[in-house]
Amino acid sequence: MVPGLEKILLKVQKPGRYVGGELNSVVKDKDGVDVRFAFCFPDIYEVGMSHLGMKILYSLLNRMEGVWCERVFAPWTDMEALMRERGIPLYALESGDPLSEFDIVGFTLQYELSYSNVLNMLELAGIPLLQSERRGLSQLVVAGGPCACNPEPLADFVDLFFIGEGEEVDCELVELYRAHKKKGSSREAFLREAARIPGVYVPSLYEVTYGGDGTIASIRPRDGAPEKVTKRLMLDMDRSFFPESFVVPYLEIVHDRAVAEVFRGCIRGCRFCQAGFLYRPLREKSVDVIDRQCRSLCETTGYDEISLSSLSTSDYSRLNPLLDQLLTWTPGEKTGISLPSLRVDNFSTEVMDKISSVRRSGLTFAPEAGTQRLRDVINKNVTEEELMKTVATAFSGGWSSVKLYFMIGLPTETMDDVAGIAALGQKVVDAFYANPEKKKGRGVSVTLSASGFVPKAFTPFQWEPQDTIEQLHEKQRHLVSSVTTRKITCNYHDADTSFMEAVFARGDRRLGPVLLKAHELGCKFDGWNDYFSLARWRQAFDACGVVPEFYANRRRSFDEILPWDHIDYGVTKDFFRRECEKAYAAATTPNCREKCSACGAACFQGGICHENR
Amino acid sequence: MKTVRVWFRKTGAARYISHLDLTHCMARALHRSRIPLWYTQGFNPRAHMVFALPLPLGMAGDRECVDIRIEEERITALEVKERLQRALPATLPVFDVTEPKMKPGKIAWASYRLLLEPEEGDARRLEEQLEALLGQEEIPVEKHTKSGMAHFDLKPYLGELSHRVEGDALLLELMLPAGSEKNISPYLLTEALESQRDARFCCRARRVNLYDLERNVFE
Ligand code: SF4
Repeated sequence: MVPGLEKILLKVQKPGRYVGGELNSVVKDKDGVDVRFAFCFPDIYEVGMSHLGMKILYSLLNRMEGVWCERVFAPWTDMEALMRERGIPLYALESGDPLSEFDIVGFTLQYELSYSNVLNMLELAGIPLLQSERRGLSQLVVAGGPCACNPEPLADFVDLFFIGEGEEVDCELVELYRAHKKKGSSREAFLREAARIPGVYVPSLYEVTYGGDGTIASIRPRDGAPEKVTKRLMLDMDRSFFPESFVVPYLEIVHDRAVAEVFRGCIRGCRFCQAGFLYRPLREKSVDVIDRQCRSLCETTGYDEISLSSLSTSDYSRLNPLLDQLLTWTPGEKTGISLPSLRVDNFSTEVMDKISSVRRSGLTFAPEAGTQRLRDVINKNVTEEELMKTVATAFSGGWSSVKLYFMIGLPTETMDDVAGIAALGQKVVDAFYANPEKKKGRGVSVTLSASGFVPKAFTPFQWEPQDTIEQLHEKQRHLVSSVTTRKITCNYHDADTSFMEAVFARGDRRLGPVLLKAHELGCKFDGWNDYFSLARWRQAFDACGVVPEFYANRRRSFDEILPWDHIDYGVTKDFFRRECEKAYAAATTPNCREKCSACGAACFQGGICHENR
Repeated sequence: MKTVRVWFRKTGAARYISHLDLTHCMARALHRSRIPLWYTQGFNPRAHMVFALPLPLGMAGDRECVDIRIEEERITALEVKERLQRALPATLPVFDVTEPKMKPGKIAWASYRLLLEPEEGDARRLEEQLEALLGQEEIPVEKHTKSGMAHFDLKPYLGELSHRVEGDALLLELMLPAGSEKNISPYLLTEALESQRDARFCCRARRVNLYDLERNVFE
């Protein structure tokens, strides 16, 4: 155990976060290990341990001979204070060794508001924050995950980014590292070589210049780095690595269950949804493979719930056969099946019966916008009629509480669209009382959850201004005042955090000094409401002479060079522009199964783009 | 259907999991072990699982137990032990599976072993501080209860107690009332030693055994 750790564990909340030793965690003999990889999740244990990507890469890297991958999470503030006081550096859970002893320190970037935690964790580890200040080959700081699609705000701190899915490229990089470590290469020589691996982006090999209006004038690679870094992806999901077991935490975590991935990508083209474009094209797993993976996971973990995960699980083309197959053994094992994301247009009684047979998970839908016009703008191809049909099905099936997710601040939105959210909620309430089979005395509860729209890179709305914080507040007030019944509860996300998310989602390298300053001022856990302080962030922006509104609230022209233009996810800028123009005209685009819209992702030569041909 | 008592130790990292998390952990292990459990009827079937006496957070346990109900005709006690052992993390080793002889309600005493490592001064000094504390007329302590803070004198509750210096540390062995009626944590004593005698130390505690009112070992 870490020296001095025992003395502080009983002084903190949930010490179980900091001790490791969980079932299925991997401990290797250090003598046989030549590359040590610290997989860091820049949030607390319970959040990080729920993350599927981490489980996949943890198992995958540990399958490699001579490679030991360990887990690291951000200590909660009580623990952090004691670690600093006692001089205990950030350590990995499996060995208890400090991060400074590791070869590769890898972060997964799931949301922009975790960037301050990345810096804080590096500092707790005693690793120099700035990439330019690190010497030698060890303590190589790498990062991947969806936010790596616009890596620029972190360019000062990270040596290299993985673009796209990590299963192959992570291993290739580790092998290259191993070879260079043996040779005793310099960091620079290694990075130049690493930049030749497809899907690896080394920011220090690119020079960015700016024009008089503050926009980017050019992005130029040097030393043989590629003009564009194209994402990596797994084309054959049936053959793609999937862990046979998960580390089973002692503590209750956010998603405490077995997770099966049914497909990657999404056929929908919701125009606000970054994941929908980053993971194109859709690639499904077969029923047998999913079934086998579920059995193995349940056997090795003891979980009694399986979550069928993907961006939109009810779009799985063989959902019913899959459920039937799983139901041949799950009831006998007292195991339940849950679908985390349901779409309103294909939620059938049949599916509902199957997932409710053991345990009912909560019923949530995401119409995203309150009026048909606005749903057409964002290409959320769901009609009110479909939603009503679905909730009626659900109500007659015995459900009495429904949660609906919306966004406010969408492009072209008017106050009527905002009021439309409340009106839709009311119609759902009415549908409940119109149900003839309704049990006597049972009330209905409808929750309307509204988050502020954040325009993201690699979406048709990447050029759009975000509503200002004041505009978002006004819309929140309008929504609340439009609700006229106590059967509806409204909740909305904090507009301040949406603003900061928007800044970093489309920021450039000039945010590096701001991030550093914010870290010095004590910013961390920005994704946690009780910790986030816009005032502190504003202080950091002021100190660096950077105007955050330039990133969040400015409309970009279609021909502006965007900070992520040298990163390529297959989907073309041209397609995004067409989609943006269609959005203004409230014209919809069919999904990939109905008709291919030639987005560009067919360049990867696999998935649905080719099944269709 | 019959009830069996599973005996295990709580060691290492497992010391730092709360009782609630231990129940989840045990439930998953039972599920993973494929022991034919007896389930409650109803909408949300649950396996029967009763722990004799929760351990405070941070404390190791040498003789912890949990009662489970199994479909007796389909499995032997030895099999239960082996399967569960394989399904639990190494920090929760199972050492026996027996027929319960006493009801958990019979538990009245527990024995503890505390190793106090001084952070200031040496073990001798710490022993003097402890002796001074025990020599006090009263040892006022406070304890969170369901109905708020309770203030009481710890002294009359102390059972057999012995201490000696072992290497750099002070070893303290003691008996305290335990069970559903009156449960006195040894941490009350160490906290009093810190606050009333200004001692600074790191405490490693383990619960060694459980007893009934007549000091018969709980079985
Ligand atoms: S190329 Fe066509 S089928 Fe493939 S992802 Fe793009 S729109 Fe869908």
